[in-house]
Amino acid sequence: MVREQSLTAEFPRDFFGISLPEQPNKYYFMIRGQRLVVEADSTIQTIMDKLQSYKSRVALCFEGFQYQLGDFQLRVGKVVPSHSENLRGIVMEVEYLPISSMEKARQIMEEFVDIWQEAISKRSLPGHFMHIEPNFSEYGLLDHYTPQHTAVQYATVVAQMIATQTVQATRN
Amino acid sequence: MMKPNALMQQQEPQAMAIQNSNQASSADAPPKQVAMAMDRLAQAARLIADVRLGADRLLEALFIAAQPHQSNKPLHLFAKEDTAMRQHLQDLRAVGRQLEESGVLNDSLRSRSNSWGLHMPLVCPDGAVVAYAWKRQLAGQAGASAVDRTRLALKAFTDQKRQFFPHLDDGLEGQSDEPASKKHCSTQVPPATLQEDLSDCKTLSDVLTRLEKEMPNLKVFTYERLDWLKRASSLPNSTNENPVEASKEHTFHSLNKLRTGSQGPVTTDKAAVIELLFPSVFRAIVSLHPAGSIDPDAVAFFSPDEGGSYVHTRGFSVHHVFRHITEHAAMALQHFLGIGTETALYFLLHWICSYQTLFTKVCSKCGRLLAMDRESSLLLPPVHRPYRHFSPLKVSSAPATSSAKDQFPGAYHIGCFSEEL
Repeated sequence: MVREQSLTAEFPRDFFGISLPEQPNKYYFMIRGQRLVVEADSTIQTIMDKLQSYKSRVALCFEGFQYQLGDFQLRVGKVVPSHSENLRGIVMEVEYLPISSMEKARQIMEEFVDIWQEAISKRSLPGHFMHIEPNFSEYGLLDHYTPQHTAVQYATVVAQMIATQTVQATRN
Repeated sequence: MMKPNALMQQQEPQAMAIQNSNQASSADAPPKQVAMAMDRLAQAARLIADVRLGADRLLEALFIAAQPHQSNKPLHLFAKEDTAMRQHLQDLRAVGRQLEESGVLNDSLRSRSNSWGLHMPLVCPDGAVVAYAWKRQLAGQAGASAVDRTRLALKAFTDQKRQFFPHLDDGLEGQSDEPASKKHCSTQVPPATLQEDLSDCKTLSDVLTRLEKEMPNLKVFTYERLDWLKRASSLPNSTNENPVEASKEHTFHSLNKLRTGSQGPVTTDKAAVIELLFPSVFRAIVSLHPAGSIDPDAVAFFSPDEGGSYVHTRGFSVHHVFRHITEHAAMALQHFLGIGTETALYFLLHWICSYQTLFTKVCSKCGRLLAMDRESSLLLPPVHRPYRHFSPLKVSSAPATSSAKDQFPGAYHIGCFSEEL
């Protein structure tokens, strides 16, 4: 993921692509350096394959279980590369279903995560959950939550995961 | 088209026999009356079709008779049709009288107290029969809501009894939730100053205009009943692919376009539904009965992103938080109606507005936002806002978004709430 600054300023050399289970007909592109997120039809992947201008370097799969706790929807899953069994990490999605405004839901979400953290701290599991809130407005996204927000959050999570593991690899 | 009303003017001796059989039917339960009314309407429709056909045949006979060199055939035809038509018209008058007796062709049943809140099907001037709303009401009311309504009715009656007959309080309250020793002797009539203050809020548009002035974040809309169903079905729901675009279509301007067909905010004399929208927080629906009055009869809360034909005052949100608030609001409504029918709507709307802090105001008892409700095992924000000593004047003088613990009215989790509040 180490890039030379001059190159990234001219043309992006890579992008993130993600498909979400709740939007089966869509595919989301993100270029983090330029803060771009685009929603496209899922058939665009065939065009990309035919063009061959970009190759898939890393393909990650997030799979796990979905739980409903009243008005909260939780998804907990492991992050594994597509054709391997190495566990790269664990991802958790928390969604508060009744409202779509991030500002209005912020306090509720924070309290929920606090309750959750308290619950799992009693189990002394290794590692801890980290939440990095991307700056959505830089991507042109508004307060009303959309699948594009989800895509940007996943891109942030993956970038963070790759960065951490690169650091660990160089240490070793 | 022949209107049954026009035929009702003539008196027929045969009608007396039919009227006697009507006496028995008025003692039947409303659902049976309604079923019989539907049968009779179908009968009337068939008779009207027969009358139409007969009229055609008469015209045909006349036409043939007008041709030269005809035999007696057209005359026979005419005579036969004449008898048939007279019979059809007599039958139609009889059915019409039965329908009128049972209240279908006029509004008489609306004011009768034994109708159980069910309304007889009405025949509109264009012949359409309005039956859907009450059919659904029958099905819904026969279901699980029967238990809820009994509970609410019992609560309303005990509250009113406590208010008007406090000396009957002792010993009889042992089975209710409240301990028998608590006697609510304090007056529950709104203070005199408030009553004077509200003396200019006699009509619906007065109430709404005043509310809009006092609540700047609120959007208020009124609808006739059928208009609301249309609007509810066209609301974007959260499964929309492009909720932002969809919600742009429903900006204030397009809403105005939707409503120019019906009454605008100026003429609210047929408004049957009030929509209170706090954007991004909640949408509350209040229904009025009769339309255009200031008498609320039901209230329900929904997510601002919910849409569909179930979004109405007898429906329930898919989200637990709004379902709990709707249940609590039903009791608040009963309480406000018990205090005074003239002020009920004003109090109710203001009380609804206290929920604008639903996702930000912490519980006045435990100080937290989320708490686990024991009964349902759900994490919920404080969904209860006290209504017993609720006074709109206090709310409007305080800033809306502060989360101070001692500001009126408080907010409580289900488990933190107690009835005396």
